[in-house]
Amino acid sequence: MAKLLDKQRYKCAMGAMQTVQAITRAIPVLHSGPGCAQKLSDSIGSSGYFSPNIFPCTSINEKDVVFGGVKKLETTIENALKVIDADLYVVLTGCIPEIVGDDTGEVVSQFEDADKPVIYASTAGFKGNNYKGHEQVIDAIIDQYLKKSDEKQKGLVNIWADVPYQDLFWLGNIRELEKLVTELGLTPNTIFGYNRGIENINRIPKAEFNLLVSPWVSVGNMKKMEKKLGIPYLHYPTLPVGAFETSRFLREVGKFAGVAEEKIENIINEHEDYYYYLIERYADLFLETRVMSKQFSVVADAQYALGITKFLVNDLGLVPAKQFVADDTPKVFQEQIKAEFEKLNYGLKADVSFETDGYKIHNEIREHDYHGYPLILGSYYEKELTEELFGHYLNISWPVQDKVVLDDFYVGYTGGIRLIEDIYSVAVQRWN
Amino acid sequence: MSYKIAVASSDGKQIDETFGAAKKFIIYEVTEGLYKKLEERFFHEEKTEQVILDNGKGNLEEKCGDGNACENSNGCQRRGCAGAKEASAKVEFISDCRCIVCRKIGFHIQKQLERKAISAFDVSCPVEEALEKITYYFNRIDNHESLRAQK
Repeated sequence: MAKLLDKQRYKCAMGAMQTVQAITRAIPVLHSGPGCAQKLSDSIGSSGYFSPNIFPCTSINEKDVVFGGVKKLETTIENALKVIDADLYVVLTGCIPEIVGDDTGEVVSQFEDADKPVIYASTAGFKGNNYKGHEQVIDAIIDQYLKKSDEKQKGLVNIWADVPYQDLFWLGNIRELEKLVTELGLTPNTIFGYNRGIENINRIPKAEFNLLVSPWVSVGNMKKMEKKLGIPYLHYPTLPVGAFETSRFLREVGKFAGVAEEKIENIINEHEDYYYYLIERYADLFLETRVMSKQFSVVADAQYALGITKFLVNDLGLVPAKQFVADDTPKVFQEQIKAEFEKLNYGLKADVSFETDGYKIHNEIREHDYHGYPLILGSYYEKELTEELFGHYLNISWPVQDKVVLDDFYVGYTGGIRLIEDIYSVAVQRWN
Repeated sequence: MSYKIAVASSDGKQIDETFGAAKKFIIYEVTEGLYKKLEERFFHEEKTEQVILDNGKGNLEEKCGDGNACENSNGCQRRGCAGAKEASAKVEFISDCRCIVCRKIGFHIQKQLERKAISAFDVSCPVEEALEKITYYFNRIDNHESLRAQK
């Protein structure tokens, strides 16, 4: 029986056009109805050289359902190659052409000899949400573009994190991860954002290993690269936010890459000294029990639900109420993510619910006794609910309506401090 | 339930006429998924031809060729041809059909057809092939069946 969703926190798989857009000078070519890109485009930093309004689209209609849309796709790709100056063309298919059976792969294969690479990813909505679509796009790059390299560059690490644009802080986060990895003496390679692009994609096969920082997104991509390109991977499931997790992150990555222990500890000490200097200065605020809520809930995708829960418990000493993972995490990953929620300091365990239905999430939050004002970190949907409960609210996950983020981030030592600033700004605004 | 399909073809074999240029439409009737030729309709165009009239004040005014076509007694309001009738006579001419198949069709005519829930298929292929595909399509959706490709 069909299930209705209230307050959906993700888009259909073709939302992966934002993943393509995040690769500088890569353009999605959409084989879909004319409304898809319009519905999927967010006005959160998606304008620029290419924007959703100019994405080439076959704009298929009833005629193409009856007679097939491959001809239209063929001319659309052909003309996109002529009029758009891009480095990589990624054809994304919507629901309609996939249902009626257009052979997109066949059409795309005709462009093998084109001057620029043309690849395609199957992103029909019925195949999953945009987290899945993101994986499909990276899979397409691996399968159809990358080739195994015998030549390896010493210390080169590909870093993969969560989904661009879906994650509001994607750009800042990945840059901060790069910085941390650089401090370890490694050379990071990422494909998303400013000053990255096709050159970085070309460099992927030369890496010594892949570093994945995400609870579940892209695990499949890592396995694929291990198999096809012979690149081993380190899966670090928790987004490192704040000192505790970031130090652990550095130790684990350093160990995997064979960095001397002493060097790692020196880096950590330097960061932690400054981090705790800042915390100490504001200790009076943090210890003032009336300012902050006693318990908190995070309603977000797996990476933020897990990363922020660990941060709030391990670094700030707050008590977790129920946490909600709302990104439709595949069942195979749920157990191990759940186990991560139980590895908290002070012997604490966080109860976690994999729930996509906003109505049910809100009911659970309403019914829970937070022993005072709750602290809710979630999407914009939680704003009204938190107001109703007189709680503290911070918008950290999609959809985002009351925040503009250009390159802010929550990752690392600095990111942890930023998150403390944001949370406590909400709290002090309340009391002043 | 039966319905009609209008086909713009000069020889009855190939879809070779644009909607605008077509002088006749071949009408097929589809009953329970099977189509058969019903009639040929010939369209006389003069009635809706637009002419530019000099209204004597030095301004050129667009008017419908058929003075009676405008319901507004003051004549055309210069809103394209919306002052006359809702749809062009040619659209009215086939308004009992469920869809029109022709080689090409203009955007505005498509909009007019849309308003009457008439589908337009602009394709260049044999009439038979088009009819097969269209009847298959309508048959599936009328019976609430998936259009998923059969492999």
